[in-house]
Order: sequence, then C-alpha cells, then structure tokens
Amino acid sequence: MGGLNTSLLIGMQALDATQGALDATSNNIANANTPGYTREVAQFSETPETVSSGEVSGGGVSLDGLQSIRDELLNLQIQQQTSQQSSADTQSSTLQQIQSAFSTSSGDDLASMMSAFSSSLSQLSASPTSSAAQQGVLSAGQNLAGAFQSTANALTSAQTYADGQVTQTVAQINSLTSQIAQLNGQLTQTATASNGGGTIEDQRDELVQQLSALTGISVTQTNEGETITTGNGTPLVMGGQAFTLQTTTGSDGMAQVLDSNGNNVTASIQGGTLGGAIQVRDQTIPGFLTQLNTLASQFATAFNAAQAQGFDSNGNAGQDFFSVPANTADAASGITVAISNPALIAVSSDGSAGSNGNIANLSAALTNALPSGQTPASSYANLVFQVGTAESNASAQSTAIGLNLQQLTTQQGSISAVSTDEETTNLIRFQTAYEAAARIVSTIQQLNTVTLDMGTSGGY
Amino acid sequence: MRIDPNMVPNMLAAIQQSQVSLNTALQQVATGKSVNVPPDSPAAAADMVQNTIETANVDQYTQNIGSVTSLVQTADSALSSVVTSLTQAISLGTEGANGTNSAANQQAIATQVQGLLSSVVSQANLSYQGAYLFGGTASTTTPYTADSSSPTGYTYNGNNDVNSVQIGDNTSVQVNLPGSQIFSNSSANVLGSLTSLVSALQSGNTAAIGTATNAVSAALNYVSQQRVVYGNAETQLNSQETYLQQETVNLASQENSLIGVDEATAATNLSQAETDNSAALAAAAKVLPNTLLSYLAPPS
Repeated sequence: MGGLNTSLLIGMQALDATQGALDATSNNIANANTPGYTREVAQFSETPETVSSGEVSGGGVSLDGLQSIRDELLNLQIQQQTSQQSSADTQSSTLQQIQSAFSTSSGDDLASMMSAFSSSLSQLSASPTSSAAQQGVLSAGQNLAGAFQSTANALTSAQTYADGQVTQTVAQINSLTSQIAQLNGQLTQTATASNGGGTIEDQRDELVQQLSALTGISVTQTNEGETITTGNGTPLVMGGQAFTLQTTTGSDGMAQVLDSNGNNVTASIQGGTLGGAIQVRDQTIPGFLTQLNTLASQFATAFNAAQAQGFDSNGNAGQDFFSVPANTADAASGITVAISNPALIAVSSDGSAGSNGNIANLSAALTNALPSGQTPASSYANLVFQVGTAESNASAQSTAIGLNLQQLTTQQGSISAVSTDEETTNLIRFQTAYEAAARIVSTIQQLNTVTLDMGTSGGY
Repeated sequence: MRIDPNMVPNMLAAIQQSQVSLNTALQQVATGKSVNVPPDSPAAAADMVQNTIETANVDQYTQNIGSVTSLVQTADSALSSVVTSLTQAISLGTEGANGTNSAANQQAIATQVQGLLSSVVSQANLSYQGAYLFGGTASTTTPYTADSSSPTGYTYNGNNDVNSVQIGDNTSVQVNLPGSQIFSNSSANVLGSLTSLVSALQSGNTAAIGTATNAVSAALNYVSQQRVVYGNAETQLNSQETYLQQETVNLASQENSLIGVDEATAATNLSQAETDNSAALAAAAKVLPNTLLSYLAPPS
C-alpha cells in the first residue's frame, strides 16, 4: 500500500521531470535564433502504477527525454530546391557581369561601334578625297575592332570568374563533407530513435543544407548515418567517411572536378553553386563566344574582300583592312585593324583618287548576309537576345524557386522553429507545475513531522 | 495546425520585394528607360541593335545630303554661268556676223568672246573643297589645260566616270558629270565651238562666224539639257531629306516604344511602389515587437 514515502517519491519525480521540461524550455528560448536548431519538447510518461495487496497506487511521472521536432522529408525537399536556386543564382550573377557589354546605352558596345563604322563609310562616300573622312573610317574601324575585343574580354572574364567559383566551391564542399562525416560518426554512437537526433543532428542537417546550396546532392539514411552523393552518384559522405573532391587544370585552362578516385566528373555535376558555375562556364558563355568569334571572323573576311575589289588613294589594289587570327576561336579577341595609313582604304573603284565607287562594296559588307546567313547587325542582335534571355531566364527561375522555397521554409518553421510565445507559455506552465510539485514535497514533509510528533506531544 | 512562429524571414522577403519594385520604378523614372540591360527585355534589346544602326545611318545620310547639296548647287551654278556666257557669245556672234562692223570692232568682239571662253574654262576647272567638279572621278587633276595642238585648243585630263553618294539604304544620287560630257562632247563641244567662234571673229569671215555661232547655240542647248542632271539631283536630295526627317522621327518613336517608359505610368508605378514599401515597413514595425512578454507582469 502507498504511504507518505510514496507520495514524497512521486513529488520528487515530478520535480525532476518539470526541471527537465524547464531545461528544455530555456534551451529552446536560448536557441531561438540559432540556424538549424529544431525545438525540443520534453517527453513525459507515467511511471507504471504499483499494485500491492489489491491496492493500486500511481507511480508518478518520468521524463523520457527531449524530442527534437523535425520533418526529414521536408528537409530533403528544401535541399533540392536550394540546390536549384543556388545554381540559378550563380548563373544569373555571372551573366549579369556581361550584360553591360551588350547594352546600347553604354555607347561603346558593338552595335554602337558598327553604326559608327557604317556612318563613317557613308561620310567618306560624300567626300572621298577628304583625309579627315578617311581618318574617320580608320578610327571607327579601330573602335569596332576594340569593341569586338572588349566584348570578348567581358565574356572570358565572366568565364574566369565562374572558373574561380568552381575551385572555391570544391574547397567549401570538402570542408563541409568532412564535418558532416564527423557528425555522422558521433550520431551513430549517441543517437537513439526516440530523441530525434538532438542537437548533433541539427548541426548535421544545417551542414547538409549548406552543402545542398553548393552542389546538387542526394541523401539516403543508412544504419551508419546519412550517405550523401552528388545527384549523379559520386559519393561525398558515407557514414563516418568523407570522400574529397579534387580539382585539376584541364586542357582548356579551366578547373576540372575529379572524384576521390581521380575520375573527371565535371560534366555530370548539376545544381548548386558548383553546377551553376560549371553550366555557365562550359555551356552558356562558350556558346556566346562561338557566335561572337564567327561574327568577327566572317565580317572581317567580307570587309577585306570588299577592300580587295577597289583601289586605295594611291591607285593600288586594296589590301586587308582587318587582320583577324586564322583560328576562329580567337577571332573576336584578336581582331585588329591591319592598316595605319588612312590612304590605304580602298575608296576608289577605277583607280583614280576622286572615285568613291568601292565604298558601296565596303558598306555592303556591313549590310549583306555573311556566310552564317545573317547580316552582321542581325547576327549581333541575335546574340544580344540570347545573352539577355539567358540572364532573365536564370533570374526568373531563381525567383520562382524562391517562392517555392519560402513556402517550404514556412512549413518547416511551423514544425521545427522555436516560438518564444509558446515557450513563454510553457515557462509559466512548468513554473506552476514545479511550484505544485514543490508543494507536494513540503506538504509531505509537514505530514511526516506531524506523524513523528504523534508519540511525543500527544497530538491534537 | 502550428504556424511558423518566425515571421522575420517572410517580413524581410516582403520588405525586400517592395524595395526591388521601388528601385525598378525609381530607375525607370530617373533614366526614362524601361530597358537598361538586355535581360530587362531581350527582344527589345535585340531590336535596339538594328535601331541604333539605322539611326546612325539616317543621321549620316542627312549629313551627306547637306554636303552633297552644296556640291551639286555649286556645280549647277557653275553651269548656270556657263549658260550665261554662251548666251552672250551667241549674241556677240550674231552681232559679228551682220557684216557691218569695222575691223577694230570685230576684233573687240573677238576679244570679248575670248574673255567668255576663259570664263567658261575657269568654270570647267572649278573645284569644290579641293576637288575638281568636272574631271570625272579624277578630281585631283585640273580637267582642262590649254593645248595648241588640240583642234579645240584644250585637252581634257579627267575621265568619264561618275560618283554616286548613298543618301538612303537603297538610294544613291549621282553627284557629278564628267567634263567630257558637258564641255568637250563630240556632238556639241562647248570649248571647241567657242574657240572656233573666236578664230572666225578674228578672221572676219562672216559665213564662218555664222556657222560657229550656230555651233555655240547647239552647245548651249546641250549644256542646258545636261544641267537637268543636277536639277534632278537637287530635287531628289530635297525629297530624300524630307523622307529622312520622317524616318528620324519614326526611329526615335520606335526607340521610345522599345526601351522608353511612359512617364505617367512610371510615376504611377513609383508612387505605388512607395506605398507598398511603406506598408511593408509599417506592418513589420507593428507586428514584430509584439510578444506574450509584452503583456506579462514582470516577476515580482
């Protein structure tokens, strides 16, 4: 049968359990702003009642532990979306760097220089013997070649920037995977199914979340903790072991990503900063560069051919106006004006200095279709369209995923985030519970005193 | 269902969103453009490439028209004074042919015609901005030089080529006539007929004077016909200039519709964005500091 001591015991258990709940509450409040922290809830359970001589007495309460409240599936979704958004953001920010080179408002872009070159030729046709007009064509030609070069430079420097991001991101990935592997090891020792992993899992989830921003990953739960691979299956973490990625300089001078066995996995990496940087470096910008180089090479060839049809101011057959590297891949960055004497412009069609007959041919090089099938202007306009679309698509994608991600984060917050109002309420609740439990103890103590005094003072 | 207790990220997102709209609206009002870089509207940016080139070309065509017009006018007025000289020569020739003049008067008339010939030659050798007008495309050589061995007394040093200047994408105008076509044409030779008239007057041969005067008359008709080329060029230049002015307006309005903003819309967007931004900030200021703690009595 129950006695005062049983009640005292129950009171003590209540004090202990409430103490644990108060700890949890204060820990929640303390970590309300810690990234990755999931709120913990004290798990109480009844201690089994005791049956003695047919009488049943309650066994009190026991604190089973602190349960972290989290939703793993939601975390996975957030990781995937984060990878995609981070990839789109990286592409968008890299592509933003090249936009001003393609904007007509700058006044020194290719379109402006093409139009200046075209009008300088037109001016020369009105005064074919004017050395000022000839010099005007020469300078406009130099500016046009300069615009080709600076546009190509803007593209290659954005490419170099993306390349730098690849190397940097691989280093960050390696640092994160080794930390995750370490936490995996600790988790297998301490984790129990009941407490939801606790703070170590919070830390690991936070790191995995950061990792997902760097590259697309796939996470599977195993007995040895989480196994993390890239989207394509290259292992990054298995249990307590991390597999480091490496970088090496490829034949094109760009960093290539190798897995832990030394296989080149660059092309298969998708998502995250790394995937975005590789995409923009190896696909998007090279596509633009190819078009620009083709334009530079074909335009220079067409203009030189027009020069050859006429005669310069000295009556000699026109020589090359533009010098362009034989390798088309270097055309835009290497195009220069080959002549320095304005008198060498092939203005004349009949060999006499006053003729302007060949200017029509020179101007036609700007307005006729190139071997690509497009005129220089429409070919360039097409490139501007693609450059603009690439960036606006990337940022639109980022915005769309951002909305989705915000939704998911709100959902995650509704499950795992600490509400200070809730914790304040809990604080009051557990304060009352603690006071009540303490009252049990003091009441039992008084009763014990009364009981002990029964024999000596005769009681009441 | 539990709701996300953390309102800060959503609030921040709302504030940021309203600031993005505010920046966009502000930039549009400040620059007057809705497209500053290609991603703002890739299609408009691509169309602007063509517009930029067209605009520069139209500007240059207009400038060309200015310089070509004065060139053509100079040539035309040179021919006009040639026509005047030829008319005078014809009346002098008619006067010399009537047989009533004294020998001294006849010589004086011959001298006058000689003077007219020199004036015509100087018009034929007229240069404009350092280039000879009537030498074909050989504009750096004096077109006519005196040559006693030539039957006309002058040699043509130019060529028979003409220059055309582009004044539109598909329009060009012929800006010169070679001297060989105006002054020393085989069918109506201006210089030759005047030279013959001078020698006929000097010799006093009435019949020869008559023949020479008729030849000058024929040359006058011919020159008048040739002047039409310049007259037509002037007409073409004028009408093309009007067309280009219209084209400039069209291109400017195209540019405005491609990348410009409607000021009223931009101003409305700006004030809308300001209101949104203030609303987001005011909501955050009102909601965020509110917690249960504000209402709990401090522990006694």
